[in-house]
Amino acid sequence: MLMIAVKAFLILLYATFMGFMFMGIIRIVTARIHRRVGPPIYQPILDTIKLLSKKSNITHGLIYDFGVIYALGATILALMFIPLGGVSILRAYGDLILITFLLEIPMLGIMFAAMSSGNPWAGLGAQRALLTLLAIQVPLGFAIVALAEFYGTFSTYEIVMAQQTVGWSITHLPLLLAAIAYDIVLQAMFGKEPFDIMIAPGEISLGPMVEFGGKHMGILQIQHAIALFAETLFFSNIFLGGAVVTAFASPILNTIASLAVLLIKQLAVLMIAIFIGVIFPRFTIDQAARFYWKWPTIIAAAGAILAAL
Amino acid sequence: MINELMIIIFAPLLAGVLAWLLDIKGIREAIGVIGAAIPLAYLIQAYQTLSTQPSIQYSIALAGFKFEFLLYQINWIFAMIAGVVGFAAVLGMVSTAKDSYEWLFALISLTGVLGVFLADDLAGFFIFWEVMTFASFMMVLKYNRKASLKYFLLSVFGAYAMLIAIGIIYAKVGALDFATIQQVLYQDAMRGAFGTDTLFSRNEMILVFGLFLIAFGVKAGMFPLHVWAPDAYSETNQSYTAMFSGVLSKAGVYGMLVIYILLGTRLMYEFGKFGAAPKFGYIIALLGGLTIIVGGLLAALQEDIRKLFAYSSISQIGYILVGIGVGTALSIEAAIYHAVSHALFKGLFFLIVATIIYRTGKTEFKDMGGLAEKMPITFAMAFVAILSLAGIPPLVGFASKWLLFEAVIHENMPILGGMIFFGSAIGFVYLIRFTYAVWFGQRPTDLDDTKDAPLPLAIAMGILALLNVVFGIAPGLVAKELNKIFGKEVIGGTIYELNLGFGRYNGLLITIWLVVGLVIAAIIYFLGAKVRKVPVTDTYQAGNPVTMEYNLTIRRNFFLPLKETLAFWLRISFDRLYQDIGKWIEDLAETMRHYIYNGSVQAYAWYLAIVLLILALWGV
Repeated sequence: MLMIAVKAFLILLYATFMGFMFMGIIRIVTARIHRRVGPPIYQPILDTIKLLSKKSNITHGLIYDFGVIYALGATILALMFIPLGGVSILRAYGDLILITFLLEIPMLGIMFAAMSSGNPWAGLGAQRALLTLLAIQVPLGFAIVALAEFYGTFSTYEIVMAQQTVGWSITHLPLLLAAIAYDIVLQAMFGKEPFDIMIAPGEISLGPMVEFGGKHMGILQIQHAIALFAETLFFSNIFLGGAVVTAFASPILNTIASLAVLLIKQLAVLMIAIFIGVIFPRFTIDQAARFYWKWPTIIAAAGAILAAL
Repeated sequence: MINELMIIIFAPLLAGVLAWLLDIKGIREAIGVIGAAIPLAYLIQAYQTLSTQPSIQYSIALAGFKFEFLLYQINWIFAMIAGVVGFAAVLGMVSTAKDSYEWLFALISLTGVLGVFLADDLAGFFIFWEVMTFASFMMVLKYNRKASLKYFLLSVFGAYAMLIAIGIIYAKVGALDFATIQQVLYQDAMRGAFGTDTLFSRNEMILVFGLFLIAFGVKAGMFPLHVWAPDAYSETNQSYTAMFSGVLSKAGVYGMLVIYILLGTRLMYEFGKFGAAPKFGYIIALLGGLTIIVGGLLAALQEDIRKLFAYSSISQIGYILVGIGVGTALSIEAAIYHAVSHALFKGLFFLIVATIIYRTGKTEFKDMGGLAEKMPITFAMAFVAILSLAGIPPLVGFASKWLLFEAVIHENMPILGGMIFFGSAIGFVYLIRFTYAVWFGQRPTDLDDTKDAPLPLAIAMGILALLNVVFGIAPGLVAKELNKIFGKEVIGGTIYELNLGFGRYNGLLITIWLVVGLVIAAIIYFLGAKVRKVPVTDTYQAGNPVTMEYNLTIRRNFFLPLKETLAFWLRISFDRLYQDIGKWIEDLAETMRHYIYNGSVQAYAWYLAIVLLILALWGV
C-alpha cells in the first residue's frame, strides 16, 4: 500500500516536472524558429507558481471551482493507467478504450468550469472544442480499432510487450497508417496550430481559458503539463515501442534507462507537433472538420481494414 | 390462485382503470404508483424462483387460442428494466400528470410492454404489442395530433409487417408458440444442412426476416424508420417519455432478440456469416451504426430540449442494435447491458426534462440558462446522467459502452468500430449543448424564482441516479445476470471487475483513483488564497462594462459551424421523403375520388356492369 503510494507520488512528480519542461521546450523551439531568444526552459514553472500564489482569486460558483479540480483529478487518473517503463501502477488495467476516454474527460471539467462563468468567449470556445473533438474522433477511433485488431488485445501493456518481439508498431503498414492519422489527431489534442481553434489566441481571447485566473489557472497549467506528458507517453507506448530495458542488473538502472528511452520518444513526438504548429496558420472549424473527416479518416480506416484482414 | 405472471402483467392495467374510474386527486396517484410497484415487487421475488428453476411458465386458453407466458433469464432482465424505469416514470407522473386520462393510458402501456416481454407465443406477443402501441399513441394524441398520427401510421405499418410475418410462419409451421417455432425452424436448418428440401424457401426467409426487421425497427426507432420518434417522444408528458423512450423502445430491441431466438439458426444456415457476425445480423448492426450517427448529429442541432433527448434516444438505441447485430455471445450481452444502462440514464434524463418543463414551463433552449443555482438537486441528477450518457467512468454508461466497443472491435469489424467511436463523441457534443444552455451562464430574469424538483420527481430521479452509480462502480452485478443467459461465464471477473481476457475494466479501482486525483487537485486548490464570488456580469468582455441587458449566452444555433459543415447531408431527409409519399398518396386518392368515386349512382352502376361483364367473359 505504502509502496504504491510512494510510486504514484513519484510518477506524478516526474510527469508534472517533465510536462512543464515540455511546455518550456515548446516555447523555446517556437522562439528559435521565429528567430527570437525565447524564455528560459523553466519559465512555465515560474508562471504557475506566480498564478498559484495570487492573493486575490475570483470564482463564479461551485461548478467553476469543481470543474477545474475535476480536470486535474481526471488527468492524474489517466496518467496512472498508461504504462511508464517498468514503474506504472495500474498498467494491468490500462485498456486502450479506457485510456482514450480518460484522456478526453479532463476537457469536460474545463468546459463545465468555463461555461459556468457565463463568459461569451468561453461559450464560443466550448463550442469549438467540442466540434474539434467530434472531428478528431473519427480518425482517432479508426486508429484505435486498427491497433486492437492488429494485436488482438486491448491492453496497452501487452501491446508494448508485443512490440518488443515483433518490432515497433510503425514498422507494420496498417499501424503506420494508424500512427500517421493518430499523429494528426494529436496536433488537435495538444491544441497546436493549425487546430488551435478552440483557444484561438487573438481571435476569441483564449476561449474557454478567458475567465480563469489565479489559482484556477495555475491548476489548469499543471493539468496541461500532465496531459502533455500523458498524451505523448501514450503515443510512444502504442506506436513507438514503449520502453522495456532489461540490459542492466540493477532494476533501478533499468527503470532510469527505460524512462530515458521513453523521454526521447516523447520528445520526438513533441517536436513533430511543434514543427507543424509553427509553420501552419489556423483552420476555421468547418475546414478542420472537413479535413479530419477526409484524409486522416481515409488513412486510419485503410489501416483498420488492413489490420482486420 | 392467480398466477404471478398474470399479476405482473395486469396489475398496471387494473390500477390504470381504477384510477381512471375513481378520478379523485390523491387517490388516483396512489393507485397508479401501487399499480407500477406491484410488478416490480413480483419481479424481484421471481429472481429467487429463477435461481432454483430455469423458468416460470403459465398458459391460459381463451377463445380458441392458447396464450403462453414464460419468464426466464433474458426476459426477466427486460421486464426488470420495465419494472424499475416504469416505476420511476409513474412516480414522476405524480407531479406532472394532469388528469386521469394520462394515468389510464400510461399504465396500460406498461401492461402492454410487460406482456410483450413475457409472452411466449406470437399471438400474445402481437396483441400486447398492439396494446402498447395504442396506449402510447393515446398519450401522444392528447398533446399533439399530428405527431401522434405520424407515430400511429408508422406503427400500423410495422404492425402489418409483423402480422404478415406471423401469418407466414403460422401457415408453414402450424403453431404460434415460441418453443414449437424454434424447434421446427431448427429442424428446417438441419434439413437444409443435410441437403433435403426445406420447409421455408430462401425468399420466404428473406421476406420473414425483412418484415420482422421493419416491425421491430419501427418500435426501436431504427434508421430510416426513426422519423416518428422525435415528435412522439417530445409531444407528450415528459415523465411518461421516461418510460416511452426507456422501456417501450426496448420492446423493439427485445424483438430483434426474438428474431435470433426463433429464426436464428435457420437464417444463419441460409445466409451464412460475415466475419464473426451472421450476415442477417450484420444488416441490423449496420443500420444500428447509421442510427447512432444520424440520431446523434440531429440531436446536436435541435433547439428544443425535448427534441434533443428524443434524437439522443434514437442514437443510443443504435448502439444496442450494433451489439445485437454482431451476434456473438459477448456482443449480445453487451447490447443487453447497454439496454439496461440506456433505460437508466435516458429515463433519468427525461425525468430531468420533465422537472425543468414543470418548473419553468419552457421547452426551448433560447428561454433558459443559469438554472444550476436555482435547481441544485436537479442539476446534481443531471450531472450524473450527463456523465453516464457521455460514457465517463465510473458510471454505468461507460461500463456498457466499453463492453460494446470491445465486443465489436474484437470481432475485427473496423467500420462498425469507427461508427461507435464517432457516436461517443457526438454524445459529448449534444450533452454539452444541453448543459450550457440550461444550467450555466446568464439567467433570463423571468426564471429568477424557479423552484427545485417536487418530491415525487426528486425520489424518482434519485432511484435512477443511484442505480447509474451503483451499476457503474460494480458492473459485475449486471454482468453476472447476463452470463446466466448463455449459462457460461462470457464476461469474467468479480462484481467490480469485467474481465474479457483481452481487456479489463475495474469500476471500483477507477473510482478510488479518481478520488485520489480529486483529492490531490483539491489540496492544491485549497492551498491557494481564498476565493471571492462574483456575479455573471463581472466577466471579461474586451474592456466593455457588462450589464444584464447584454446577452452573454449563445442561445440559438449553438452548433452553427456543424450545421454548415453538414449542409449537404442535412438536405437528405427521410421524414420529408415519407411526407412526400404521403402527399402523393393523398393526391392519388383525391384524383380517384374525383374521377372514380365521384358519388354518382350512374357511374357506380356502370362499374358494376363492367365487373359483371368481365366475370362473364372469364366464364365464372
